[in-house]
Amino acid sequence: MKYHFLFLLCAALAAQEPDPSHNPRTSPADVATGAKTFRSHCSVCHGPNGEGGRGPNLAGGRFYHGSSDLELLRNIADGIPGTDMPGLFYSPDRIWQVIAYIRSLAAGGSALPAGDRARGDALFRSKGCFQCHRISGEGGRLGPDLTLIGKSRSPDYLRRAITDPNADVAQRYWVVTCTDNSGTRYQGFMMNQDTYTVEFIDMQGGLHTMMKSDLKDYRVEKVSKMPSFQNALSATELDDLVAYLCSLQPKGDPR
Amino acid sequence: MNSRILAAAAFLAIEFGAGLPAQVSYERLLKAAGDSGNWLTYSGTYRSWRYSALDQVRRENTRLLKVKWIYQMPTTHVVETTPLVVDGVMYISEPPSNVVALDAATGRPYWRYRRALPARINVCCGQVNRGVAVLGDRVFIGTVDAHLVALDARTGAVLWDREVADYRTGHSITVAPLAVKGTIICGISGGEYGIRGFLDAYDPETGNRKWRFWTVPEPGRPGSETWSGDAWKTGGGPTWVTGSYDPEQNLIIWGTGNPSPDWNGDSRPGDNLYTDSAIALNADTGQLQWHYQFVPHDVHDWDAVQVPVLVDDEWQGRPRKLIYWAHRGGFYYVLDRETGKILLGKPFAKQTWAREIAPDGRPVTLPNVDPTPEGTYLWPGVQGATNWYSPSYNPLTKLFYLAVWENRSVYHKGEQEYTPGNRYIGSVPLIDLPEDPGHGAIRALDPKTGERIWDYQLLTKPWGGVLSTAGKLVFGGSDEGYFFALDAETGKELWRQNTGGIIRANPITFLSKGKQVVAIAAGSAIIAFELGG
Repeated sequence: MKYHFLFLLCAALAAQEPDPSHNPRTSPADVATGAKTFRSHCSVCHGPNGEGGRGPNLAGGRFYHGSSDLELLRNIADGIPGTDMPGLFYSPDRIWQVIAYIRSLAAGGSALPAGDRARGDALFRSKGCFQCHRISGEGGRLGPDLTLIGKSRSPDYLRRAITDPNADVAQRYWVVTCTDNSGTRYQGFMMNQDTYTVEFIDMQGGLHTMMKSDLKDYRVEKVSKMPSFQNALSATELDDLVAYLCSLQPKGDPR
Repeated sequence: MNSRILAAAAFLAIEFGAGLPAQVSYERLLKAAGDSGNWLTYSGTYRSWRYSALDQVRRENTRLLKVKWIYQMPTTHVVETTPLVVDGVMYISEPPSNVVALDAATGRPYWRYRRALPARINVCCGQVNRGVAVLGDRVFIGTVDAHLVALDARTGAVLWDREVADYRTGHSITVAPLAVKGTIICGISGGEYGIRGFLDAYDPETGNRKWRFWTVPEPGRPGSETWSGDAWKTGGGPTWVTGSYDPEQNLIIWGTGNPSPDWNGDSRPGDNLYTDSAIALNADTGQLQWHYQFVPHDVHDWDAVQVPVLVDDEWQGRPRKLIYWAHRGGFYYVLDRETGKILLGKPFAKQTWAREIAPDGRPVTLPNVDPTPEGTYLWPGVQGATNWYSPSYNPLTKLFYLAVWENRSVYHKGEQEYTPGNRYIGSVPLIDLPEDPGHGAIRALDPKTGERIWDYQLLTKPWGGVLSTAGKLVFGGSDEGYFFALDAETGKELWRQNTGGIIRANPITFLSKGKQVVAIAAGSAIIAFELGG
């Protein structure tokens, strides 16, 4: 009897302790406060509504560095090593509100766009995308590897990248054109540069490091070598291709 | 008995040669400019020229500089330390808050003080430390959990450990303390956490606090009229870069940081004294002698945490005590050191926020420069046209040298609710624009006019300070990891070394066994260079 009472007392006390593995701040007011924090601190990379930009789309409800409440708390508080994601430096209370807001974004429904993935896959092959892009080890090395592109880019971003490749060109794909002292001309994609040197990969896949002071001319163009598919795809085909790219996700369920 | 012990002590002293190394007395610190074999205080001397009279390394032989030794720190934090060198021993801080004593000739450690830190520390921009102070036979370090610790210079043993402020409310210490007569001056960090800033003075023997100057005055005190409501309680004004000392006037001259929250000033109408200011305090009492505020009611995070460079020189025909100060907002200033009066204010980098600095010292701001929810483009960027890294003044060339950023940011205004220990900044600006990242430079100015004399351009924006020497050299470093020597008169590059790690620290120079050594922190290493073969 005595022990039963003790057990009940312990259980009651435990119930009063917040469960650290689940978000304790999920009221509408918390979501609203979380939204304010998100717009001030997160939207620069993740977009005003979490739709993605430089940082991944958060509105799809899939988080590949961990999607439990506790994992989100850790990733937002401490940042994610090996990525550009910094820590937020807020107390758990404030971060729980941000998590509540992020979860509210995904509550709207399916995140994957309309369009036929299989037809998109076929288009990707028939339109020659594999010449430059690689998916799961297949394809060329000059363009970005797209194996996991659906994880980090929103459907809107991908749509724009296909129709207007110059809209956002990462520095890694800027085009370097230069001539050395012997008159040999080189062209390639920028891999790195500093005050004195430039490193690039040429169109045949050769790696070069040049001293800028040894170059007769040197030009960097922040334009994409990818052609625009604005007029090469019908509206339906574009939907299919975007649906295919969005399906390129890490294998298995999100953690 | 006693005589036998004395005899034994005498024997030990004679037999083992060295005896006790000279202590770093206040008198010795006063004469640091004439003691160029050592580097005794953060900026070299109390006047903070970061200049050395050593000239073994000079323009003709700079190309012969070679690595003498490398000391690798077991740390993943950014290294911002300025080493001190005293009689053959180098004292460095190792981030987050450790101290190591190295043999300055070999780079081999004598001892290490390892601080046990709490799990969660609130530091805005990395758990960094900019160096130690030495006074007597003690080494002083401020810690990221906001303590000041005195160590035995010979062994690293803790002599005392004082809490300066509560780290749980966002206080931390990253600044190198300053040792003046019988006092250790120590600043505080936390301008991104809504601290109320201060500058402290401690007794080096006991660790007792001698005075505290609040950089944000409480109601009723002078300056409080520039605040409203309770904003002063969370008003910022940290003191996270080592200042200078004017022994003749017995004045501590120190820069203060941004008001809190950084990018949203709605909760703090008024000028917000003494944030973003130069303050001059009596070293014995902490009484404010004068102040000059670079940016009244700052909403761009343009701290005035630069090292004040104290120079006595002619100004418009008569000798005057001057301060040279290139501020984060992009203007170069000359101040009168006796009154704090502004004598010159001129842009040294591109800026789009002020038409000019008026004769009364107030900037004449341009319209539409405040942060907005949509974002405001402005030069300089959030990290400023310069920042905490040290400038240098060379009395031979009479030029002022500094690392410069030419870039802009998008300043956003957002929410600004204060909760203790949390960031209190009012939004996050877009610091670097990928399409327009700007560039950096090492720049030489005529300190009398602010006119640019030369520029050594860098592709990226540097976080390293500069050192100049009687060898007519300027040493500097880049985020790319290059450490280089420039001709102090022309800016021409004479030597460079890829160190393989970002340089976010200030160089020093000293003598080791009679030979000039130049040292810099790069990556997680200290690298010492001297002339080879």
